[in-house]
Amino acid sequence: MSLIALRNVTKIYTSGSQHIAALSELSLFIKAGDFAVLAGPSGSGKTTILNMVGALDRPTEGAIAVDGVNYDDLSSRQLADFRLHRIGFIFQSYNLIPVLTAAENAEFTLLLQGIAPAERRARIDELFERLDIAELKNRRPGELSGGQQQRVAIARAIAPKPAVILADEPTANLDSHTAAELLNLMRELNEKEGVTFLFSSHDPQVIAHAKRVVRLRDGQLENDVRQPL
Amino acid sequence: MMTLTLAWRNLWRNRRRTLITLIAMSFSLMLVQGFHNLSFGVYAQMIDNGVRAGSGHISIYRGDYAVSRDDRLTFVPADLPQKIAALPGVDGVVERLYLPALAQSSRESRGILLTGIDPTAEGLVNPLLRRLDLPALLPSADGRDALIGSRLLQELRLEIGQKFVVTAQGADGELASELLFVRGTVESGIRNIDRSLVMVGRQRAALLAGRPDAVHEIAIMLNRPDESGAVLQRVRALLPPGDLQAIPWDAAMPNLANAIKLDYASQKFIFLVIVAIVSIGVVNTLLMAVMERLPEFGLLLALGASPWRLRAMVLCEALLLGLIAMLLGSALGSLLTWYLTDVGIDLRRFLPESMEFGGVIFDPVLRATWDFEYMLRMAILMPLLAALAAFYPANRAARTAPAVAMRNS
Ligand SMILES: Nc1ncnc2c1ncn2[C@@H]1O[C@H](COP(=O)(O)OP(=O)(O)O)[C@@H](O)[C@H]1O
Ligand SMILES: [Mg+2]
Repeated sequence: MSLIALRNVTKIYTSGSQHIAALSELSLFIKAGDFAVLAGPSGSGKTTILNMVGALDRPTEGAIAVDGVNYDDLSSRQLADFRLHRIGFIFQSYNLIPVLTAAENAEFTLLLQGIAPAERRARIDELFERLDIAELKNRRPGELSGGQQQRVAIARAIAPKPAVILADEPTANLDSHTAAELLNLMRELNEKEGVTFLFSSHDPQVIAHAKRVVRLRDGQLENDVRQPL
Repeated sequence: MMTLTLAWRNLWRNRRRTLITLIAMSFSLMLVQGFHNLSFGVYAQMIDNGVRAGSGHISIYRGDYAVSRDDRLTFVPADLPQKIAALPGVDGVVERLYLPALAQSSRESRGILLTGIDPTAEGLVNPLLRRLDLPALLPSADGRDALIGSRLLQELRLEIGQKFVVTAQGADGELASELLFVRGTVESGIRNIDRSLVMVGRQRAALLAGRPDAVHEIAIMLNRPDESGAVLQRVRALLPPGDLQAIPWDAAMPNLANAIKLDYASQKFIFLVIVAIVSIGVVNTLLMAVMERLPEFGLLLALGASPWRLRAMVLCEALLLGLIAMLLGSALGSLLTWYLTDVGIDLRRFLPESMEFGGVIFDPVLRATWDFEYMLRMAILMPLLAALAAFYPANRAARTAPAVAMRNS
């Protein structure tokens, strides 16, 4: 069974009298443990898919289910709860809260889940070690490089052990060397811990790191290939 | 806990804006507290002066004499004054007889209010007579010695030591006259009093009125004006059955009470202006802070924070703002009050003559008195107002759409 299932999903944005079909009858299934990229030019619908898989937005038509839960059945409150417990997010920018330290940022989702401070600290300490950012714990986001910020975002995303991590162009603001490092780290987490990743990019170098490449064009599936590494 | 930390740090992200708002709020609180305490002090002093020169913190009359001033409403106090003087909280008791009369010198005549007093007792409590040696000037209760208002002295073209005649209607309706001698003058600064006051021993006035031993008023002075409610109960318990009434000063002197009420009403307006300043300041600051941070709120929502948590965050910022303003403003307000109690505002440079307010003169050096209850109420108002003002900004933050906020990357 698929971890993520999109069935005939259509998303139409209405701005004023204009209707923009961001996705048209798209179906996509992703298995647990995958490391898949949504590839495609700007405006092809990558963010729209990630937002809907992440329960940040609802489709106009079609059905979405993640980890066996059909989003149609959930209220927006329940969706928020589902996000909190089952989905990890890494965004391109505005990823961290500027007034919190790296550790506090990473702790944030655990805090929202009501996990006790001692356990939060323990998990974050361990993760920061693993992600090689232990010495950055007390820095504010403004004192971190782009790559370091994204590592903190990864720590925050995986700390609650979600079903899947969604990352919308996580390397768009990074130089290619840092981007490659981040991708390697994500891949390592995928291989060693079995964390499922679904991310988006239009950068061929980044796309090359994925196990599976889902190509989009104008809100539709162009092709879907597995690539060996 | 995290909400509080976040709120505190967010508050200082725009240090200058927060400081300006805080200063505006704190100064508002300082002004409200300081100036309330000032008028509180001035009123307290005015009331005390007025009360001591007038009908006392508590007065006893027969029937509706306080309102009607009907000369016939006299009574014989017997041992009532001594009993009242023995009550706890009572500073002094004086008995008075009032008699509208005509005063004639050899050259002029004027309408006057002849007041019969007990020289010794009156001298101890009445601030108008403070500088006079009453027992020397009016040595006996039935003597022919009189004190007269400074203006009346001029108008009658009299001098100290000269004689004049007062004529009044006695109990039997017949006119009666008495020869009196001017022994001293009284200057209250209030025109009406200074041109109509004649004080004589109470027995002399009673004889003229044809009502031996009778009085119109027993005026009771208290050690502590704020105890007047309790003492009033005790006084009422002592009154013999009949039509004697004990009433508090504000009922006995409605002019003064009304003048003070009116002035408090104008303070309410200032208070409203300050409420507006504080609310607008908080709304403005928080709304700007929220609008700047919409992407962040979007992030928090995307991560799974509930809209209520965002509301709580903004509310918490407002409360912190209000609490700091409460502490800072109260500190400043206390400093201002301390200055105003200690040094006061000296009006003598601006106003050469003594001032009258509601028929009572007051000290030209205005001094504050601490009104802690009021200060506390105003201080607590700060966080309350701030929380109220945070309502709209908090809702705006909670209404952020998580997806939209993430898009403008
Ligand atoms: N909120 C919106 N309102 C109107 N149109 C939108 C909105 N969001 C996205 N779109 C449109 O939907 C299409 C897909 O957008 P998006 O999913 O952001 O693409 P990508 O992430 O691949 O660049 C684009 O044409 C975009 O202009
Ligand atoms: Mg996009």
